Amino acid sequence: MVAITDAGTMYGLIAVGAGLATGLAGIGAGVGEQGIGAAVVGVVAEEPGFLGKGLFLMLLPETLIIFGLAVSLILMFAWTPFAGLVTP
Amino acid sequence: MLRPVKMSRVVVAGSKDVIAPVVDKLHELRLLHIVNYNGSQPNFEMGKPIGKAKEYSEDLIKLRSISRYLDIKSKAPEKKYPESQVLSEMDNLLNNVGADTNATFERITAIDAEIKSKQDQIRTLKPLTVLPLPLESYYGYDSLATFVGTAASAVDADVAKVAPVSEVYSGSDKKATVVAVFVPVEKAGEVSSALAEHGFSEISVPRLEGSADSAITTLEGSIKSLEGEKAPLQKKLADMRKQYEDLMLATDEFLSVETQKTEAPLRFAETANAFVIDGWVPSDQFSGLKSGLESAAGGKVDVSLIDEKEADDLVEHGEDVPTKMDNPSLVRPYELITRLFAIPEYKEFDPSLLIFVFFPIMFGLILGDIGYGVMTLCVLVLLKRKFRTPGWQQLINIVMIASVWSIIFGFFFGEIFGPLGLWGRIFGHLPHEEIVKLQLQGLYFGEGVYGQFGRVGPLDIFPMDRLATNAVLLLIGTSIFIGVVHTGVGSILGIKTELNYGEKKHAYFERLPVLLFQLFFAIFLLGLVMGQMTMVGLGAIVILVSIVMMVMGPEGPMGMAHVPFYVSNLISYLRLLAIGLASVGLAFAANQLAFYVIMPMLSGGAHNSADFTAIAIVVGLAVLVVVHFINMLLGILSPFMHPLRLHYVEMFTKFYSAHGGGVEYAPFGHVRRFLKV
Repeated sequence: MVAITDAGTMYGLIAVGAGLATGLAGIGAGVGEQGIGAAVVGVVAEEPGFLGKGLFLMLLPETLIIFGLAVSLILMFAWTPFAGLVTP
Repeated sequence: MLRPVKMSRVVVAGSKDVIAPVVDKLHELRLLHIVNYNGSQPNFEMGKPIGKAKEYSEDLIKLRSISRYLDIKSKAPEKKYPESQVLSEMDNLLNNVGADTNATFERITAIDAEIKSKQDQIRTLKPLTVLPLPLESYYGYDSLATFVGTAASAVDADVAKVAPVSEVYSGSDKKATVVAVFVPVEKAGEVSSALAEHGFSEISVPRLEGSADSAITTLEGSIKSLEGEKAPLQKKLADMRKQYEDLMLATDEFLSVETQKTEAPLRFAETANAFVIDGWVPSDQFSGLKSGLESAAGGKVDVSLIDEKEADDLVEHGEDVPTKMDNPSLVRPYELITRLFAIPEYKEFDPSLLIFVFFPIMFGLILGDIGYGVMTLCVLVLLKRKFRTPGWQQLINIVMIASVWSIIFGFFFGEIFGPLGLWGRIFGHLPHEEIVKLQLQGLYFGEGVYGQFGRVGPLDIFPMDRLATNAVLLLIGTSIFIGVVHTGVGSILGIKTELNYGEKKHAYFERLPVLLFQLFFAIFLLGLVMGQMTMVGLGAIVILVSIVMMVMGPEGPMGMAHVPFYVSNLISYLRLLAIGLASVGLAFAANQLAFYVIMPMLSGGAHNSADFTAIAIVVGLAVLVVVHFINMLLGILSPFMHPLRLHYVEMFTKFYSAHGGGVEYAPFGHVRRFLKV
């Protein structure tokens, strides 16, 4: 059996938080992209020359998930007070 | 290279006697981007087509309809025809071959229609096979109304109620009850509504004779004979296609060229005796154009340059200077990515060279695996032979250069089909106790070595295992650094572009503060990480200054509203690390799953690779191949899309296309693909 320690719980919670940050941001980016994607496909079907501009618009919300990921990375690797807890 | 080719504005004026040789020569030279005459000048009229314009365009329409029947599409040329051969065979092609094709095609269409109508009849006859009546008894009555169709339930009782004198036949097949009701004409209305209550839907009986079964057999027989007639006709079309394909394409090209030439004067300005052509030509080609035209027209034409001030004036009044991108052949594929977004305007920078520099590096940094890189390269070499259209070739070249970079980064990261697997077998790795020592010191960057050279680089960071904590932190910094350089180059070009347009305020108070902000925001972050308070302070001060500059800029206080966008621009470069990590993670998981879970499990808990049973190795390898294949597909798609986004969103917004897209240089002429020059 592995003993449940405060540090362990804390690490677990950090991991859960990191997962939520990336996951929820991903859902957000997806919701943002669905409308744009549909519209872009519509435009490109009419006027293929708009593919580049359409891609540009469609990829805009992608940044959202990177924000989530940045938060996750900070939680997992860079937040020294907690990182100290993890490796005693 | 960063700028489009320099253009000069040209006016060609000459006597109408020489319009035909001048047009011929222009077409041959392919130099002049003609500016269409808009009819705005007094004393000048729009030109009229010369020669056999009408005849040629009619022939072209005829030819295109024949090639549509024969299903001929443009393709890579296999054979070239001289113009004289095309001319001598054109008549035969358009009339005899055309008539033959039309007749054959029409017969096939007619047969198809007939087969379809017979199939429809069979479909309506099928339900009637359950009734005992011959087909002729369903029609041809004066005093009787007939209802034939399917019903949901039995109708006899209700029909008898409304029309005591009546005859009802019914039978049922697998799907529905089929009924045939015969009643006096005067009861038709009432019976119809009674039937409607039983969900009656009518079948229109075809006017045939005999029993339904025998009618179906006859119909099926005639369908078979029609199909027998169709097959040789289709073969005939296919044979004709094979025989005439190249000649048709060559004739199409010939007629297109001739129509272009004969209709060209529609774009010129004309008086009773003279014509004037306006256009743009690359400055260094002007002398060639001038001497070519003058010799063709025997001196009866004047070709002159308009001086720059006057040309600027024309541009001010809405004339577009065409853009001819000028890149060495290695960079040229990347024009595809530029063009996908917009054609650069004449005064703007052409970003293709920058894409050539940054795009493959970003792709390599994300994919960064020798195994995947080599596989991609092999697949692309095969694809390059298969897809020969220029668009595909460009795309394939882009990814090929990128996959070379991914092999290079694979050496930095020590990855062959994922980390910690094959690399250790091929190039060796550190002994276990040394790894533990490094981990305790917090200096662990990975365990691979370059054979006898050991680990290299400052702090021995290469080959770097991207999943190690230290490596992740280092790559975060690298990504942001690439971001600062990338957006910084964009901002500098933005400043220069605005200066080219003469917009000093936009240059110094809209573009410059962005450059300062992003550069010193990065320095500010670096200072925080390194604990250097001077850097933090310096960063903070310059950030404040840049925000003040934004407020002073053309947009006023609204300029400040873009600040979050500039921050997110930089954070966005973290995707270079993130997407790479995701694919490394998947590759790592695949290797672990195969070598440490599936193979030991199927070998009854053996831990040594020598003890693995044959079946365990087969299953493990199958899992490896499948997961790595999926990972590689994703690993080509996302490292392509995401750097594309970084260029389009993060970089282009700094300098590109803010003044709307340009017009591509399209010189008057035609590239001959199927005709011998």
